[in-house]
Amino acid sequence: MLADMAESSPTAAGTPGSATDEAGLLARLRAGDDAAYEELVVRYAPQLLTVIRRYLPEEHDAQDALQEAFLSVFKAIERFQGDSSLATWLHRIAVNSALMRLRTRRRRPEKAIEDLLPRFAEDGHRADPRAVWSIRPDEASVNRELRQMVRAAIDELPESYRTILLLRDIEERTTEETADLLKLSPANVKTRLHRARQALRELLDSRLGETAR
Amino acid sequence: MNEPRCEEHRHDLTCREICEFMMAFLDGELPPEERAVFEEHLSLCPPCVQYLDSYKKTIALGKQAMADPCGIDAPRPPVPDDLVKAILAARKKQA
Ligand SMILES: [Zn+2]
Repeated sequence: MLADMAESSPTAAGTPGSATDEAGLLARLRAGDDAAYEELVVRYAPQLLTVIRRYLPEEHDAQDALQEAFLSVFKAIERFQGDSSLATWLHRIAVNSALMRLRTRRRRPEKAIEDLLPRFAEDGHRADPRAVWSIRPDEASVNRELRQMVRAAIDELPESYRTILLLRDIEERTTEETADLLKLSPANVKTRLHRARQALRELLDSRLGETAR
Repeated sequence: MNEPRCEEHRHDLTCREICEFMMAFLDGELPPEERAVFEEHLSLCPPCVQYLDSYKKTIALGKQAMADPCGIDAPRPPVPDDLVKAILAARKKQA
């Protein structure tokens, strides 16, 4: 019956992730169908866990945040209006849940960002000529190795800076929203985002500047 | 003649200040006057031009690297069965 729909062919239930498929799943969730809940978790947990791990590299933190995210989802599913796709909505909840865990867990000492910021001569001018990045701006969209390298560099950023970079540049949340989520002033978010980008640029420079020189 | 180095020019802004205001410049948040000074510095300082270019590329590369959490890079990382079970059990408790 209803539970069997999960196993039926994509054409009958809609291609996974498609609007019709989502609507069907939502209806079953709202009806309290246990199998639909299992389907929801099994289908979306991998991508949500991937997103959460960006904020919480330690696996037990990430798993806790994933569980909390799903509990929020279960509570809010009645109120989900479908303004965005289900996947987008889940993604936002997962990020919020990761941030919540970041705030509540014990703070860990983090690397100083200063080592990753550009250096200048005493008079404030650039001391050395820089390597040119001949790489095209969209290169990473076609180069998997490059994407992996960039992700590894993002992982190397000090936690508080990485979080802001992820929210502003990757999630494309506004300055105000980010400030709100992290309980920082908007000016502070801007300063930190700029530093985070500079630090990431520095980390990439050693790899990209070399091949481009 | 050698390519002029940055410090041989008179600037109203140092490279350090250019670096500080770079984000505001890109976001279009600099007042017209400051923007003009910023652009003048860039026209005289190749290292700052290169830095600006790599700064913009850094943002673009980050977006591309993170675009698709479960795309071809990371095809559905396994989620432990126990975790799925715990989540579903927690729902029952929640209800
Ligand atoms: Zn300069």
